[in-house]
Amino acid sequence: MNRRGFLKFAAGGTVGLAASPVIWNTLYDAVYWTQNWGWIPRLQKGASEYLPTISKVCPSGTGIRVRLVGGRPVRALGNPGNAMSQGALTALAAAETQLQVSPARLKTPLKRSPDGAYVAISWEEAEKMLRDKALEARGAMACISGDPTSSVNEVFTGFMNAMGSDDFYFMPGEELPALKAWSLMGGQGRLGYDIEHSDFVLSIGANFLESWGTVARNRKAFSAGRPAGQKPALKVAYAGPVQNNTAAGADWWLPIRPDTEMALALGVAHLVIKKGKAPFRIGLPAFAALAERYDPATVAKLTGVDAARLEAVVDALLEAQKPLVITGSPLGAGGAAGPIMAAIAINILLDRVGKEGNLVDLSFPSPVVNGATHIRSLLARDLVAWTQAVAAGKAPAPKMLMIYDANPLYALPAGSGMAEVLDRTPFTVALASFMSETCARCDLVLPAAMGLERFDDACTPYGSGQFSYSIAAPVVEPFYEARPAGELIIALAQELGVDLGVEDMPQLLHKKALSMGADFRALTESGGVFTDDAQRSPVVPLFNTAALQAAITTPAGSSDASVRLAPVLVLGMGTPQTAIPPFATKIIADYQLKGMDSVAQMNSATAAKLGVRQGERVKLQSAAATVTVLVDLFEGVQTDTVALCAGLGHTAFDEFSRGKGINITTLTSVSREPGTGLSVWGGAELARA
Amino acid sequence: MDYSKPLDAALFPEDCPRCSLTRFMMWLGALSLLLLFGLYAAVRVLGWGLGETGMDDYFGFGLWITFDLAVIALGAGAFFTGLLRYILNIDELKNIVNLAAVIGFLCYTGAMLILVLDIGQPIRCWFGYWYANVHSMLTEVIFCITCYCIVLIIEYVPLVLENRQLAKSRFVSALAHNFHLIMPLFAGIGAFLSTFHQGSLGGMYGVLFGRPYAFRDGFFIWPWTFFLFILSAISSGPMFTVLVCTLMEKMSGRRLVTWDVKQLMGKIGGVMLVIYTVFKLLDTWAWATGILPRVGMTFDQMFHGMIYGKWLMAAELLFIVVPAVCLLMPSLRRNPAVFYTMLILTCVSVTLNRYLQTVQTLAVPVMPFDSWYTYAPNWAEWGACILVFAYAAIVLSLSYRYLPMFPQEASLNKDR
Amino acid sequence: MSEIMDFRIRWGMVIDLDKCTGCGACMVACQAENNIAPQVDASNKLRSLNWLVVYRLSNGRAFPDHEVAYLPRPCMQCGKPSCVSVCPVIATDKREEGGIVSQIPPRCIGCRYCMASCPYHARYFNWYDPKWPGDLGRALTPDVSTRPRGVVEKCTFCHHRWQKAKDEAIANGRDPWDLPDGAYVTSCAEACPNGAITFGDLKNPKHKVHELSQSPYAFRLLERLGTDPQVYYLSRREWVRRKGDNYLEDEPTAGTRRG
Repeated sequence: MNRRGFLKFAAGGTVGLAASPVIWNTLYDAVYWTQNWGWIPRLQKGASEYLPTISKVCPSGTGIRVRLVGGRPVRALGNPGNAMSQGALTALAAAETQLQVSPARLKTPLKRSPDGAYVAISWEEAEKMLRDKALEARGAMACISGDPTSSVNEVFTGFMNAMGSDDFYFMPGEELPALKAWSLMGGQGRLGYDIEHSDFVLSIGANFLESWGTVARNRKAFSAGRPAGQKPALKVAYAGPVQNNTAAGADWWLPIRPDTEMALALGVAHLVIKKGKAPFRIGLPAFAALAERYDPATVAKLTGVDAARLEAVVDALLEAQKPLVITGSPLGAGGAAGPIMAAIAINILLDRVGKEGNLVDLSFPSPVVNGATHIRSLLARDLVAWTQAVAAGKAPAPKMLMIYDANPLYALPAGSGMAEVLDRTPFTVALASFMSETCARCDLVLPAAMGLERFDDACTPYGSGQFSYSIAAPVVEPFYEARPAGELIIALAQELGVDLGVEDMPQLLHKKALSMGADFRALTESGGVFTDDAQRSPVVPLFNTAALQAAITTPAGSSDASVRLAPVLVLGMGTPQTAIPPFATKIIADYQLKGMDSVAQMNSATAAKLGVRQGERVKLQSAAATVTVLVDLFEGVQTDTVALCAGLGHTAFDEFSRGKGINITTLTSVSREPGTGLSVWGGAELARA
Repeated sequence: MDYSKPLDAALFPEDCPRCSLTRFMMWLGALSLLLLFGLYAAVRVLGWGLGETGMDDYFGFGLWITFDLAVIALGAGAFFTGLLRYILNIDELKNIVNLAAVIGFLCYTGAMLILVLDIGQPIRCWFGYWYANVHSMLTEVIFCITCYCIVLIIEYVPLVLENRQLAKSRFVSALAHNFHLIMPLFAGIGAFLSTFHQGSLGGMYGVLFGRPYAFRDGFFIWPWTFFLFILSAISSGPMFTVLVCTLMEKMSGRRLVTWDVKQLMGKIGGVMLVIYTVFKLLDTWAWATGILPRVGMTFDQMFHGMIYGKWLMAAELLFIVVPAVCLLMPSLRRNPAVFYTMLILTCVSVTLNRYLQTVQTLAVPVMPFDSWYTYAPNWAEWGACILVFAYAAIVLSLSYRYLPMFPQEASLNKDR
Repeated sequence: MSEIMDFRIRWGMVIDLDKCTGCGACMVACQAENNIAPQVDASNKLRSLNWLVVYRLSNGRAFPDHEVAYLPRPCMQCGKPSCVSVCPVIATDKREEGGIVSQIPPRCIGCRYCMASCPYHARYFNWYDPKWPGDLGRALTPDVSTRPRGVVEKCTFCHHRWQKAKDEAIANGRDPWDLPDGAYVTSCAEACPNGAITFGDLKNPKHKVHELSQSPYAFRLLERLGTDPQVYYLSRREWVRRKGDNYLEDEPTAGTRRG
């Protein structure tokens, strides 16, 4: 080919190519390639269906409707047919369908090999191991459950009792001290809160718009009481060291120092009595004498709350028709009974207990499984007292420990003895949906089906105002090889010749529903809630001033160089069992977690005292641990107080949780509440390390 | 073969000695290392994604856009000198117009290169033409810049054709001659296109009514920044050409352009600068007292701390006011030290202006509850800029070595 | 394009800031509904892709007089959007009935000019390809296409839900252009447990938002810029309303201006 020929060819080729559709089609196709690169997942179409159930990851059993597309759960939506949550959803429940397929899910049974690594094993092997160990551990079995609302606990206790063991404990929560306080003050059943009929809620430390109690229901009540753009019919005052989510919805914030809930409650009682609004009751004079000591000036000194502001709140409380005073603990566990007793006392002073919009007394459901322990007795047990006793050698270590839907190794504070219990127990088995810190210390890890994948139930979650019962029905097959824990234990019992009286979970739930007059089929089909107001007993509350007085502690102050820890709970960040859901990383604010560092919020006066600047990375130490955190100045924190988020600092789970921030329970230590003897924690004195 | 001359001496322009080929290759080698580093940055950005840069959702524009706007402004010497030389027939400028065209070519192609990295979907870059939104200032920019880039190629090609060996071919020589004949036409088209996109680049910011730092009122559809960008470009463009020329003289040790030509360029730039300065000051005053209060903001709110402090704007204004005065006073202008300093200050001010329009605009929190965030370009962004710098230095070095860019070079260096 | 675009239907939100407690349920619901990929480290908020973001507002006073409020910020779907006129490739537009500012990722070239124009920071860029680790991709909804890296995206008021509501209306023999209140709601509004977000047609007197948007406590963000947002906020607290726009020291807090 000569030069001329080449030029001709090139020119002809160019014109021809331009005239052909090759270039233009390629360019057009480029639009599609660049939108749909092979490594980006495609959408899968399919018929949509909406199945009702309840969220078992959300501690209060929020009602949800799961949207399935081609059988895959894609969305958790609110269920208006659920009378408890009334269509409302919490940030945690909203993430449930993503949690169902999250990287932290356990897929197969895992056995710890001698070198500490986990090896996937078959269910046959796992079940054989469980059976053999259960036989070996006859009479020395223990169990920790993280789900106090479920009837699956009856399966565990029924089985264990038949095997001659009674060491069954719930993970500590708000209900333990509430039960203690309520019974000391004359309550018969469990403490309930008729929030939706109240017109004024004074919350002393209860983060009830975010994490405390039946959150979805609380917030629905808040929503109904405060119609958009109109004068609120429900007023809210919140007392706590940090302007948290509840404070954001409150009309008043009473910035108390950490661990001074009791002093504030007695200060409120003082003002209620002083303003002459309290009707006479037996025991009032003694209580009034106690409250007399808590005049606004003293309370201001103890709690840091300005006397005028406290009076304004009490005035509003007295003006309200149906006021309610509630209390809660900063971590949602490890709280003391004293402040609850004090709050009950205020409600008595207001003459509202047992009336509409106030505290109610709810009965316990009866067990339906053969040989199961009554829930009332279980709820009163103090896990930490037991773990500490085992750790100290004062109680025998079990031969086998089952940990169901709980992550005690992460959630319990320093000195709880949990790690020692795990060390001393020859065989530990975790039944869990996610690879938690506790799983990572157990000999056998069994993948439990999540709420969306199993039959389960929720009976009167703490904070409810009614005796309630709802049923979780599976909407999807279990993830990989996960199995419902209840079925597993029932099968185990059957093999070991224990007759629990139920063949499987649906039958158990059916029996349970029947026992309380509820309709199993209707509940599963609607995802609704059975409530029974007849299960509310009339209460004759009394001032148990002696018990109250015994529970008074001198609020631990802070020295010239130290500050107090104020834990902040955010439900969206997950529970110890779930850790941070993949979709929640974006809702964690940069004043809570920054990079891999927990952020400590404090006001400028506190920062000046500690000698730290905005954004500075500092080491803080408590008696139990030393941590590194970033400083963030925020004026919504009481002086001499450092606010830190709970729910961080995981060492297991997946990349969405692991290594992020610090676990603040490691900073706190366990102590005993005087009088009640309850294990309490949540506070800590911090200083720069 | 004359072994006293470099190996490639036959390719040099007539009577223009150059350094040895080995030395030249070492220089090119050094530049190539920079180029490779820049290429690595480009590969990371194209292969991994723009997450490799220091930009974020608050600073969607950063160093790259600043760099683009700055080099496009400084490269304006090409169109403006061309306009004066070919349309207004200021003949002395023929001695520097070649360099201006090469600089323009390098600035614009460099900017295009950066833009390919800067847009998230480079494969879709042709959408700008196919789905053009006529209301967008950026559409105007895309059209004008690409068209003008073609014009610059057309202006650069004849210079390449004038290479001593190439020009020996009759065809090439005739082609080059014909190119020269139509050059006034392209100078005209170039001037039109360039004026418009310089303006549209300014307009891009002036229309941002959601961004008080950038937003301006204007004339018809053009905000005042439209005209300010043109003025700043045509004042700094010629000055930048002179600065590059002088840098080349210092590096090569040879005189390339007479002092008179440089003075003329400086004077032209200076006159434009005076006009720009007057309007810029008026604009700043009108913005501070008119637009800002209208949106409920104050002058103070536009600045923050050191990194976004008022000193930046002060420097920007000072660096045009002082040169405007100095360049207009013949006595000061004739002093080389003052002259070059003023040129440098002007170029700094214009670059600073582009930076402020880009980054300060985005940094100022508009929602009252939002905060100031800082932006710092990372290695990948600097790397891409270094890529362009290395590319430009290589092409300029090759052009200087082999192409007759400076008609005066031979005569100016005769006595050496 | 500098004119305010108006339509017969004007989908809008009224967000009561006195009801919002900042829990983030709306943000989770938004991510799940619109197939926004999860992010392992989302603590750099300038690189976290979320169409809806909850800001924390402060009254600026020192302890103990400090107050907080939370402000969820979706796309304002401005009547006069700053983003639409600047997009060189018409990847974003406001011309459909309902007034929702569209965003078409396959058209977007990723120049980010729209992001520079938006004073609300409602627009987000895909700095990397989205990733759904492990089996997380199984929870993708079929309604909203996944987006590749290099394109801008933003809140669409769950536009697919409107399509669905219209389809349902047609199937049931009702007028798709006169949907009853609540027939079409966004995922965030649906998810908010506090009922802080109300969604509907601002022009339809039968829709709750119509009345709410005319409340004396209603305001819009940065109204003085002239963007004419379709998102309203409510607060009985003046300091919160004052955070909605820039005011010079002596200027009184404005009531709602309606264009």
